[in-house]
Amino acid sequence: MIKLQTFAEDFAEIRALGRRGVLGGAAALGLAGASGAARAQAPKEVVLCNFGGDAVKAMTEAFVVPYEKKTGGKMVIDGSGPSNGKIKTMVMAKNVTWDVADSGLGGTGELGPAGLLEEIDYSVVDKNKVLSGFAYKYGVCNYMFSTVMAWDTAKVKEKPTLADFFDFKKYPGKRLMRKDSQAMYELALMADGVPKDQLYPLDVPRALKKIAAIKKDLLFWGTGAESQSMLRDGEVVMGWLWNTRATLLQRDTKGKVTFSFDGGLLQPGLWVVPKGNPAGKQVWVAIASMQEPEGQVKLLAALGNGPANPAAAPLVPAELKPLDPASPDNVKVQAKIDGEWYEKNYARTRQEFLDMIAS
Amino acid sequence: MNPTRLTRSVGWAVICFLVLPITIVFPVSLTDKRYLSLPEEGISFKHYVNLFGSAEWLGSIGQSLYIGVVATAISVTAGTLCAIGCWRLSSRAGEAVRAMMLVPIVVPTIVYALGIYRFWVDLRLLDTYTGVILVHAVTGIPYVVVTVSTALAGFDARLEQAARNLGASAFQTLRRVVLPGILPGVVSGAIFAFIHSWDELVIVLFIASRAVFTLPRRIWDGINEHLDPTMAAVATIMIALTAVLLVLDLRMRRRKEG
Amino acid sequence: MNDRRSAWLLIAPALLLVGVVYFLPLARVLAISVMEPEPGLGNYALLFTSAPIQRVLLTTLRICVFTTSITLVLAYVVAYVLTHARPTAQRLMMLGVLLPLWMSVLVRAFAWVTLLRRQGLVNNALIGMGAIDEPLALMWNEIGVTIGMVHYMLPLGILPLWAAMRDIDGRVLAASRGLGASATQTFVRVFLPLSLPGVIGAGLLVFIFSLGFFITPAILGGGKTIMVAEYINVQIHESLRWGVGTMIASTLVATIFALMFALSRLVDLRTLFGAK
Repeated sequence: MIKLQTFAEDFAEIRALGRRGVLGGAAALGLAGASGAARAQAPKEVVLCNFGGDAVKAMTEAFVVPYEKKTGGKMVIDGSGPSNGKIKTMVMAKNVTWDVADSGLGGTGELGPAGLLEEIDYSVVDKNKVLSGFAYKYGVCNYMFSTVMAWDTAKVKEKPTLADFFDFKKYPGKRLMRKDSQAMYELALMADGVPKDQLYPLDVPRALKKIAAIKKDLLFWGTGAESQSMLRDGEVVMGWLWNTRATLLQRDTKGKVTFSFDGGLLQPGLWVVPKGNPAGKQVWVAIASMQEPEGQVKLLAALGNGPANPAAAPLVPAELKPLDPASPDNVKVQAKIDGEWYEKNYARTRQEFLDMIAS
Repeated sequence: MNPTRLTRSVGWAVICFLVLPITIVFPVSLTDKRYLSLPEEGISFKHYVNLFGSAEWLGSIGQSLYIGVVATAISVTAGTLCAIGCWRLSSRAGEAVRAMMLVPIVVPTIVYALGIYRFWVDLRLLDTYTGVILVHAVTGIPYVVVTVSTALAGFDARLEQAARNLGASAFQTLRRVVLPGILPGVVSGAIFAFIHSWDELVIVLFIASRAVFTLPRRIWDGINEHLDPTMAAVATIMIALTAVLLVLDLRMRRRKEG
Repeated sequence: MNDRRSAWLLIAPALLLVGVVYFLPLARVLAISVMEPEPGLGNYALLFTSAPIQRVLLTTLRICVFTTSITLVLAYVVAYVLTHARPTAQRLMMLGVLLPLWMSVLVRAFAWVTLLRRQGLVNNALIGMGAIDEPLALMWNEIGVTIGMVHYMLPLGILPLWAAMRDIDGRVLAASRGLGASATQTFVRVFLPLSLPGVIGAGLLVFIFSLGFFITPAILGGGKTIMVAEYINVQIHESLRWGVGTMIASTLVATIFALMFALSRLVDLRTLFGAK
C-alpha cells in the first residue's frame, strides 16, 4: 500500500515547497533583502482575516502589496473565516491572533456591545475617506456591497419589481432568500410599500409576517456560492442575493440570469478589530492604508465590491461603473442600511428571523 | 439459508444506491465550467490540471493523509484495547465506559470545537499538527470501540479461556487468539476512524488557521468561493485508488486460493 | 482480581485520552449552559417555552427516526446478502459499501444536489420516460435530507451488521433446518435473534450519529430543514447565544444517556456490546 517512508519524504518536500513559496513571494515584494536590523525595527506584522477563496488573492493585491511597499511592515492574510463565535472565543481566551477581520454589521452588532471589539481610532483612520454614514464606533467601512434582486429571464420575461417577488400568480416558482435577516427585512418591507427612505426603525413584525406568508415557496442560501447555484440551476425564478454573486451569475449564464440595483439595499463591509489584537496600534496604520482608493478599485475589479472611499469614483473604469454598488447612479436607486439601528437591534431581530424559518 | 432472489435484488439495489453519487462525480470532474456541474459544451481536464499543478491542493492532501494515518493508529490502538478491556470486565463499570465512549459521536462537533479551542490556547497547540492529530485520534476512538465491541459480542469467550488454560500468556492470548477473532471489527473501526479524520471539517475550521490546511478545509474554501469542481477531481482519484487497491487485494487472494 | 486489574489497564489509555482531550474541554463548554447570560437554569426553561427550539428538536427526532429505520432495514438486507454471497460477489459488494466512504461528505451532498434537484438527472430521466409530468420535489426538503443521510449512514450500519452475521454459526442454522423448520422459521426464530445484538448496536450507532448531523441537512434541506446541530452552530458562530447552544448540546448528551439506560432495561446491554 502506501510506503510510509516515501510519503514522509514527500511530505517534508511539500512543506518545504510551501515555505519556499512564501519566501519567494516575499522576495518579489522586495522584502527578503531587508537586513536583520531593519527587520527588528519594522512594525509588527498585521494579520488580516477574511473568508478565504478568491478574496485572499484579491486582497493581497489590493491591500497587502501597497501596505508593505508604503510602510515596510508585513501583512498576512488568514482565510479561515472570522465568524463572530471565533472572535469571541479568541478574545475570551486572551489569545487573539487576528488584527483586523472582514466583517459587517452582524459583527459590530453582536460583538461590539459585548465588549469584544476595539473602538476604531479615528485619529489615524480617516472618517472622510468613507461614504457618509458608514464609519461606526466598532467598525469602519472598507467596501460596499448590495443585496439585489436577480431573476431567471427564461421564466421572468420583464424586469420584476420587489412586489413581484411575493406575487405567485404572476410568476409561479420558488424564490430565494438569505438565511439571515439583514437586507431581507428591508427588501420585504419595500415590497410591502414602505418607501426606501423611511425604512428605519424597521417594522420587524410586519416584515416577518410578509416573509412567513410565502415560506413554503422559499429556499434559503447560506453561502454566496449556494445562492449562485440555485439560480443558475433553475431551482428558483427570483432571488435576493449579493451584487457580487449576481454579477458572476450574469457572466456565467451569459445573461440568462440577470439583476438590477433597483430596490436593492446598500450595505457596508466593515473592518473590525478584535479586542487585544496582537499588532496593537499598528492595525490602525494598516486600516488607514487600505482606505487608499487605488486598492479599493482593484478590489472592485476582482470581486465586485464597491469602493468605500468616495474619492475612488473617478478612478473606476467606465465598464465597471454599472457593476459598482457604490457608484452614484446605483446609490440613487437603492436604500441605505442604518448601522445605528443594527447595533441596537440586530442580535434580537436576526434570531426572530431564524426562528421563523425553523418553526 | 441462501437469500431469495428478491432479497438479493434488494441488496444489490442498495449497493447501486450507494455508488450512484460516485457515478456522477466522475463526469462532474470533467466539467468545462468553473463551478460544480455536468459538462455542457465539452469535457475538460482543467480541474485535474489544477489539482496536480497546485502546491496548495497537493499540500492539503499530504497533510490530511499524514494526520489521518497517525490519528488512526492512535484511535485503533486505544479503542481496541478499551473495547477488549470492557468486554473482559463484563460489568456495569465496563458498560459505563462504553457508553462514555459514545459521547464524542453524539455531541455536536461545534460544541466540542469551542472547548478544545480554549484548551489548545492554554497548551499552545492551536494550528499545530499535534493539536489536530490528538483531536482526530480522540474523536476517532468511539468508532473503534463500537465496531470492536460488536465483533467481540460474537466472539466466544471460552476460546480465550482455553488459550489461557493451555499456558498462553495474557499478551499471547490477546495477539494470537482474541485479535485474529475480532479482526473484521478492528479493520472496520480503523476504516471509520481514518475516514473520520480525513473528512473532518468543523473542528479543523476552529483550531487550524495558517499552518494546517487539511483537504476538507481546502474543499470548503472552494465551495464557499464558487463550488470549485476540483473537489470532484479529488473524489474521483480517491475512489479510483480505493477501487484499484480493493481489486488488487481480490486478485492476490484468488492467486493464493487458486 | 488480577484479571480485573489487567482489564482496567487495557481501558486506561483510551479513558485517559478521551477524559483529558475530550471530556475536560467539553465540560468547560457545557458549564456555559448554566452560566450565560446569567447563572441559573434559565436556558433550560427554553426547552419548555421556546416553540422554535421545540420545533427544531422535533424535526431532528423525526428525521433521525426515519433515517435510522430505513438505514437498518436496507443495511440488514445488504449484510445478509453479503454474508451468504460467494467470495467474488462479496468482494464486489464490499467495494460498493466502501467506495462512498472516500467521498467527502461535502462532495456527496453536492452529488445528490446534481441528481435530485428539479432539473436534476433523476427528474429529467423520469420525465424523459414519461413517468411523471412535473418534476418531483426530491430536494430542499426532508426527503432530500433523509436520502442524503441514509446514504451516509448505510456503511455505518452495514459493517457492524455484517461483522455480527459472519459470526453466526452456520451449523446452528443447518440444525434448525434439519429438525424440520422452514427457511422462514429458521430465519425468524434462529438467525434474526442471533443477529439482534448487531442490529441494536448498528441502530444505536446510526441513530446517535444522525442526531448530531450537520453538513448534509444544511446543504440538502434548502435552508429550511434546520436540525439541531445547525441550530447550535448558528448560536455559537453567529448570534453568540452560547448559553442556548450549549444548553441544547447538554440536552442531547442527556438524551443519549437516557436512551442507553432505557435500552439496558429492554435488552441486556451486555449481550449488546460484547461480553457473554
